Amino acid sequence: MTGQLICIVCPAGCEMTACIKDGKLEVWGEKCKRGLEYAEREFTNPMRTIATSVLVDNGELPLAPVRLDNPVPKKQIFNIMREIKAVRLEAPVHIGQIVLSDVCGCGSDVVVTKNVGRAQPRL
Amino acid sequence: MCLRKVYDAIIIGGGVVGSSVARELARYHIKVCVLEKEADVCCGNSSRNTGVLHAGFLYKTGSLQAKFAVEGNAAFEQISKELDVPYKRTGKLTIGFTEGERERLLKLKSQGDRNGVPNLSIIGRDEIKQVDPNVEAEFALYSPTSGIMCPYMYTIALAENAKLNGVDYYFENEVCSVKKEKDGAFSVSTAKGRLYSRWIINSAGLGAPTVAAMLGSAGYAYKPVKGEYILLDKRAIEQIRVPVYPAPDEKGVTDLHATPTIDGNVLMGPTCNDVVQSCDLDTTADSLDYIVKKGASIFKGMKTEWIIRSFSGIMPRFVERGTSGYLDFLIEHHPDNPNVVNLLGMDSPALTGAYPIGKYVADIVAAQEKLAKNNSFDPCRKGIKKFSEQDVETRCEMIEQNPDYGEIVCRCEYVTKAEIVEALNNPLGVTSVNGIKYRTRATMGRCQGGYCETRIASIIQESKGLDRKDIRLDNSRSYMFTGEVRESCGCSTKTPSL
Amino acid sequence: MRLLNKDAVIIGGGPAGLAAAIQLKKNGIDNILIIEREKNLGGILRQCIHDGFGLTRFGKSLSGPEYAQIFIDEANDLGIEALTDTSVINITYGKVVTAVNRGGIFHVQSKAVVLAMGCRERTRGAINIPGARPAGIYNAGVAQSYINLHNTMVGREIVILGSGDIGMIMARRLTLEGAHVKAVFEAQAYPSGLPRNIEQCLNDYGIPLYLSHTVTKICGRRRVEGVVVSRVDSAFSPIDGTEKFFSCDTLILSVGLIPENELSLMAGVELDRRTRGAYVNDSFETGCSGIFAAGNVLHVHDLVDFVSIEAEELAASAAEYVSSDCLPKASIVVVPGRNVGYAVPQRVSGEKNFTLSFRVKQPIENCKVTVSQGGNVISEVKMRKAIPANMIQIKISADRLESGKEIEVTAV
Repeated sequence: MTGQLICIVCPAGCEMTACIKDGKLEVWGEKCKRGLEYAEREFTNPMRTIATSVLVDNGELPLAPVRLDNPVPKKQIFNIMREIKAVRLEAPVHIGQIVLSDVCGCGSDVVVTKNVGRAQPRL
Repeated sequence: MCLRKVYDAIIIGGGVVGSSVARELARYHIKVCVLEKEADVCCGNSSRNTGVLHAGFLYKTGSLQAKFAVEGNAAFEQISKELDVPYKRTGKLTIGFTEGERERLLKLKSQGDRNGVPNLSIIGRDEIKQVDPNVEAEFALYSPTSGIMCPYMYTIALAENAKLNGVDYYFENEVCSVKKEKDGAFSVSTAKGRLYSRWIINSAGLGAPTVAAMLGSAGYAYKPVKGEYILLDKRAIEQIRVPVYPAPDEKGVTDLHATPTIDGNVLMGPTCNDVVQSCDLDTTADSLDYIVKKGASIFKGMKTEWIIRSFSGIMPRFVERGTSGYLDFLIEHHPDNPNVVNLLGMDSPALTGAYPIGKYVADIVAAQEKLAKNNSFDPCRKGIKKFSEQDVETRCEMIEQNPDYGEIVCRCEYVTKAEIVEALNNPLGVTSVNGIKYRTRATMGRCQGGYCETRIASIIQESKGLDRKDIRLDNSRSYMFTGEVRESCGCSTKTPSL
Repeated sequence: MRLLNKDAVIIGGGPAGLAAAIQLKKNGIDNILIIEREKNLGGILRQCIHDGFGLTRFGKSLSGPEYAQIFIDEANDLGIEALTDTSVINITYGKVVTAVNRGGIFHVQSKAVVLAMGCRERTRGAINIPGARPAGIYNAGVAQSYINLHNTMVGREIVILGSGDIGMIMARRLTLEGAHVKAVFEAQAYPSGLPRNIEQCLNDYGIPLYLSHTVTKICGRRRVEGVVVSRVDSAFSPIDGTEKFFSCDTLILSVGLIPENELSLMAGVELDRRTRGAYVNDSFETGCSGIFAAGNVLHVHDLVDFVSIEAEELAASAAEYVSSDCLPKASIVVVPGRNVGYAVPQRVSGEKNFTLSFRVKQPIENCKVTVSQGGNVISEVKMRKAIPANMIQIKISADRLESGKEIEVTAV
């Protein structure tokens, strides 16, 4: 079984070919170690990171962007989204603040990626 | 909410003609309302045209078109001051190259002279260059009284002045049926309720034949003709100073042309194509391609990277019952139906002629009813002061009085938050994004709202305490958003400024 | 009315402006002012919440806001003055910058002006898509702003026109937020964005990408009801008979970015038609003495890491200009040759090393890029595949250059 894949690790987007030969995965076209790791994972358990937002109460912005700090299994993305959608933070929130630890047991935290201060009272 | 009201006169259609009638009737003691099917007053043909103040030479001598064009043109200086609307008497060149065109231009000049259009002349190459150095032509009919105006600002101003003088406006109230009651009054049904009135003025634009039929005058028809336009970046105006029209062809049709707008853009168009339905306002690939290709050969400013947007209008070309010959304006006031005035065929020059048309209709009603003058009528209305048009000192004063003038919301057109807020609080109660657009020019620039639209939506939400789901582009079916990304449970109406 | 005097005014507090300001300060120029029209610094990065930023610069995959915060923190630490919620409304050839905010209007006479205004999106109107003008037509960046900054959802059934990176990022974003992205259409025969985005934004979510297709009509008088899509030929003309209706309530447009140079034109800066940004030399100076440009306002970038580097190179030159009023004269013209769409800088002095940035006009397999001067090869780079979506940058040493002769860059 042979497959073409595009590496998503960095913007170079190297095109690789991978095939399973005698039960072992062989990869051609990778330009770096991270690409090889990506290809190997992609065939067995594709992993992704995602970014989304959480609601912030009393913040100078209504939402704080968050992202996963480690890739998670692709098939868990929508489960993870469900967890994140239920979160509600209170301002102020800070970059790096952990919103959900080891979300869905996938080995990744959900972390805030923007500082959101407290809303100033309106004059 | 079920509307149930009684008036002395109902005007069906709040465009430039209907709002002019409203304003003229407001000069008398009479209870008037306007029923408008759209969410604002300039959604139909009133905004979908070239914005030209015609001199009046294009129209048959003795016609109402000629009469009202000439009168409206002469009166516009006064009107623009009263209503605080921009206009410029640029003059216009109708150019030609061939003998045939020269003949037709001479005929137009004679017609104009007979119509009472002042100072028309046929000029040659050199004089043309003095009027507009960009224009190449052998000769031209020069009409110094022609000009340009902003058709939607004018319509809004008429409506606001009418409203401030006591006329009620009801939007999204399309008339479904009209019944004559036993006492001779009319009961008018819309989707939102029923109103009663002694008089009905039908200024429903493209819908006028349908309304006329409801009022007992069936059989009128329009031959709808679609005109499409492309709006060009303000940089194109370096290539044009005055409206330049080609001489009409043997059939009297004028091909597409470039016209500077009062705001400093350039309009290319209109095209001219028959359509089946008068509600089909879609722009079409063929016409847009035609404007781009033909436009590039006749106007140096026609560069594709200068295209901002396109739009169309349907001209209500009025057709004689049983034939297909185009007719004059028809202002029908029949003794069999003495309390009805039908305004049909309000194609060009109804924009130029809106004021005298309004007066003509109001005079009919006033004479028949022997109306007393309304001494508290104030013809003046103030528009929104444009930050972008002021000198530095004035701008500083404005910001000091109101810091909202220091927040540029639309960076393409330099529209400030103060103007957006003022536009939102307009006398007619319009709160759509397009309503703000027409009153301030925000979103009309080259980025088409790419920068300001998010801000305008926030200002609308803040100012009017609306939910995101309730913000509209124009009428109630044009929702912009489907809700929040994360439900905040409507806990507060806070919208932090970004 | 206030009149300030500055050594450098930076117009735009996004990645280019921030990097330029920091580098100016590090080069000993203290009297600096950043003018930013938004409430917060960071520019477009504030709304780019996806990761992929900083891979080359920091070796980490950061989100836009995180990348921006690193620079914002450094600028704060260095005590760089920034005026936010302030819009520049004029720049003169003589480098007087006029700005306005709630406090009033003020002028800044500056020795150097750095243009870092970024870019705007090409609109539906500009590409003349026929049809109706309903609600529900959004440029991808505007939709991104609504969703990420304003907590506002733009639609449910989405069609995207343009396979630029922003469009694809939004395809994923909308899908994650519960919308149904039906398809992405691209008029060209190849995608305009990065391949990794096709993979992680479209393929991952089963969103089909139709190449050589475009939207030929928008339907729906009040709110989008659908679009008509046609196949196009190599000249991008719709092919008769291939029309298909796709019902949707939202059309997202990702059809190109245009450097935002309205202010530049006020100052008399000459723009290059190919980039829609300024003509600059190897000091990033425009044709107006002391007015510099970098970042998206100069030419549209794919990666913010390169924007920062470009802005830092600009700042080094601008600092020299402020100190000595003198930069090397750039009289060697750089010409984009075969298969090369544009090249920046457009003129070089030959006295210093510079980075040549350019894009190929179409995808080229086994691409050989040649930079030559008067027939002599200065630099040659081979790459397995060159695509327009990837800006190519080649460092050119001054010692390889001669004076007088044109430099040409070609790709075959």
